[in-house]
Amino acid sequence: MTSTVVINGMGCVCAAGNNVEQIVDSMLSGERYVCSAPPFATSHPHPYPVFSVTSPLHDFGLPAEDIVYLRTALLGLNAAQQALDNSCWDMKSLRSLKVGVCIGTTVGSSMDVEKFYADYRSGKTPDMRPVNCFYDGNPATIISKYFAFNGPCQTIVNACSSGTDAIGTATMWLRSGMCDVVLAGGADELCRTTYNGFAALQISSPELCSPFSVERSGLNLGEGAAVMVLAREEIAAEFQGKESLGYILGYGSGTDAWHLTAPHPEGRGLKQALNEAFSNTVKNINDDAVDDNGAIVERLAFVNTHGTGTRDNDCVEGAVLSQLLPKVLFHSTKGYTGHTLGAAGAIEAVLTLAFLRRGQIPASAGFSTIDPEIERTPVTENTTISSDIALSESLAFGGNNAALVISLNRSASGVIS
Amino acid sequence: MTAVTDKIAISGIGCVGAFGCGTQDYVAALKRGYVDALPQEKNHPDGTSFLPALLADTAHLTDYVPRRALRRIDHYARMALLGGYLALADVGLSSDQCEKLGVIVASGYGALTTTFNFLDSVLDDGDSCTSPTSFSNSVHNVAAAYLSMQLQAFGPSLTVSQFELSVCSALHTAVCWLEQGRVDKVLIGGVDEYNPVVNDYCRQRFSDHDVSIGNIDPFNFNSCSTIAGEGAAFLLLTKGDKWCGGESEQACHAPYAYVGALSSGNFSRLDCKDYSPQVGQRGSDLMIIGADGQCDSGNLYSQLQFDRPTLSCSPCYGALPVGQAFDLVAAALMLREQSMFAVNRYQTGTNGNNVNFVPKIDTITSLKIAPTGQFGQIELCAGVDRDA
Amino acid sequence: MTLNEKIKHILIEDLNLEDITVEEIGDEEPLFGDGLGLDSLDAVEMAVIVQKHFGVEIKDMEEGRPALQSVQSLADFITDKQGK
Repeated sequence: MTSTVVINGMGCVCAAGNNVEQIVDSMLSGERYVCSAPPFATSHPHPYPVFSVTSPLHDFGLPAEDIVYLRTALLGLNAAQQALDNSCWDMKSLRSLKVGVCIGTTVGSSMDVEKFYADYRSGKTPDMRPVNCFYDGNPATIISKYFAFNGPCQTIVNACSSGTDAIGTATMWLRSGMCDVVLAGGADELCRTTYNGFAALQISSPELCSPFSVERSGLNLGEGAAVMVLAREEIAAEFQGKESLGYILGYGSGTDAWHLTAPHPEGRGLKQALNEAFSNTVKNINDDAVDDNGAIVERLAFVNTHGTGTRDNDCVEGAVLSQLLPKVLFHSTKGYTGHTLGAAGAIEAVLTLAFLRRGQIPASAGFSTIDPEIERTPVTENTTISSDIALSESLAFGGNNAALVISLNRSASGVIS
Repeated sequence: MTAVTDKIAISGIGCVGAFGCGTQDYVAALKRGYVDALPQEKNHPDGTSFLPALLADTAHLTDYVPRRALRRIDHYARMALLGGYLALADVGLSSDQCEKLGVIVASGYGALTTTFNFLDSVLDDGDSCTSPTSFSNSVHNVAAAYLSMQLQAFGPSLTVSQFELSVCSALHTAVCWLEQGRVDKVLIGGVDEYNPVVNDYCRQRFSDHDVSIGNIDPFNFNSCSTIAGEGAAFLLLTKGDKWCGGESEQACHAPYAYVGALSSGNFSRLDCKDYSPQVGQRGSDLMIIGADGQCDSGNLYSQLQFDRPTLSCSPCYGALPVGQAFDLVAAALMLREQSMFAVNRYQTGTNGNNVNFVPKIDTITSLKIAPTGQFGQIELCAGVDRDA
Repeated sequence: MTLNEKIKHILIEDLNLEDITVEEIGDEEPLFGDGLGLDSLDAVEMAVIVQKHFGVEIKDMEEGRPALQSVQSLADFITDKQGK
């Protein structure tokens, strides 16, 4: 079976913009579209800032009242539509193929039906629409059904690494021949439940987040979605040589098996995820000149980190970067998007490819002062990159860690074509 | 269907549900044909009554996990832990041999009760006094996380939530992991928890039908006879002909069955004549359908051709999104025992009460159809050389 | 019931420490690490517990760390804050 997975299209919606080009432009301009309070009522004495999607979403013909409850699904559909629109795949061809959908989320699969539950508890007869929308709004199912695809659906709920795992899983489905094309990504909305939960865990920052900086005081939640159209290369070629935007060269994941909310202090699972992503890349490019993980590490242009801005996350990530990738440039884009939970890995994978295509990465927003515990500095200015391969990584509650190696070229040539 | 080219074996099985704990209890229930639901005497806050349900007991988990380690672990994750430990015990794998184990958990709803507990803490104590423990235990991957922690399993971990198709979807990925050599063994299972808000309050609000209080009548497709169930069913999947748990040859186990083929998509595009290209042209010997007394999916199941003996095991475990995990366990047991047990069956042209004799069971197809019209189909083959 | 006993009862109840009794928790016994064996998730849970049961706010873990050393240090912290 094939070992080459091409990226034919990508779409993204987040606080930084409504499409990939707009988002990259705004980041390179250093714009940070934060909202000082969430888009819902809260009784926190000092609201935590969030990164909301404030521009209207395409409603896909849904009744107006459903739109409120189906926000995660709508974000996902918007990103999927963009990805298909810029993929040069036509719907007729896709409907003749085995097309899977694999989407990461947190809120999109959760019974966060607070109003319904409050009414239920108090003996009222609650409006059932939120529950209905929970059933109808499964992100992978809704995308597959809307576009009338015929193939496997998977909604991945690995907490904050879900988006990365969804794209990685899609590449495995393609390599096994289970699918010809997969729409893969992640979607998540801002929600009172996650907002309160992260506040309770004391990892939400009352300020704009500042990943890797010594004064960092937590994360800012965000919302958004990103989807990639991935295909087996020979199928894409068969269908009139569909243009490739890039390639997913490798995927890896590892589990801390340590604690429900705290990362392993030495980043055990993250190291394993990185090592597997590199060895998977070596295997997939199947080139005698690239015979070990070191050859991939040498060619990496940059790392898009998880970089949430919490004390623990950034310490562990920084330590692993120092150990495994001491010379590679890195940044966090959470300072532009907020932490979009189940969408984060997908948004960052799309951005990673977009930055490779632009040949530069934006400054790591919010960083000001090196943390002696981390000893590494992310890029503090927009920086030109010098190769065609990059890494995007995610860490999650439950000890999930995942990483993707993304490239402009089929081989890990390490040069800009 | 997509053929599974490598030999992916079901080497171990663990299950817990209303039928009891472990495969012996499950087989006993399958032979009886059903498990009685427990009537519940409580009422919902608005006065509607709780419905009978098929509930699971996890008391045996303390055989494997110290009580202290369970202090934050809710019923949902406990069911998953117990199912997982039973599957490992079935094949003699101890928790110090799990370093390279992959873990996949499929769940339709996740930790429902803890999710509502967190909402309780928001509603009772206000936004500033919500419980971080409840929040972090309400995330879907909590069961997989506790499995990894307890087993010290550092391999890949995945949690999938696709309602009725969660199990089939998860199995697609498990097969990929094994075929592409990410791991040499995967602990994969389905878990769902009964919760009165969802399982009977919402159901009574959504359904105009009379609510039954008997047993699930799975082949009465037009009548709503569903009873909520809960539990966990886990499989230890390995690659190759046989799998050796320990150093010695004695520890080697012949598998229950192999995963032969997988498919999923829109039911309207499922060719009912083409269940199993993998076993010549004759199709699988038995079919286990996930019909569980729900009218919306019952209507879809009724469109099947029923051209082979067809069973439903749902009266033994109840209606739950991950019911297909229990169907796979049943299929694996039937293939090893070469017995179709005496469970509910449907056969065109014959008296449904007659036990139809099937001389040799080589393949069993498990089919789950979601009310949304999507299906997930898994073919299991007996532990013999398929190429012979 | 003394404040210390009340704190112990609440810890056992709210942190599900069902395998120990009030008598088994020493006033000066470390709550975290080798003592009672609590962890970082318990620490943030305790901040909520203290707020809920005693109306005393632990703003962040910088303030929480010294207060959450033992039952005694927590009692002192609560007494001090309530007195203000």
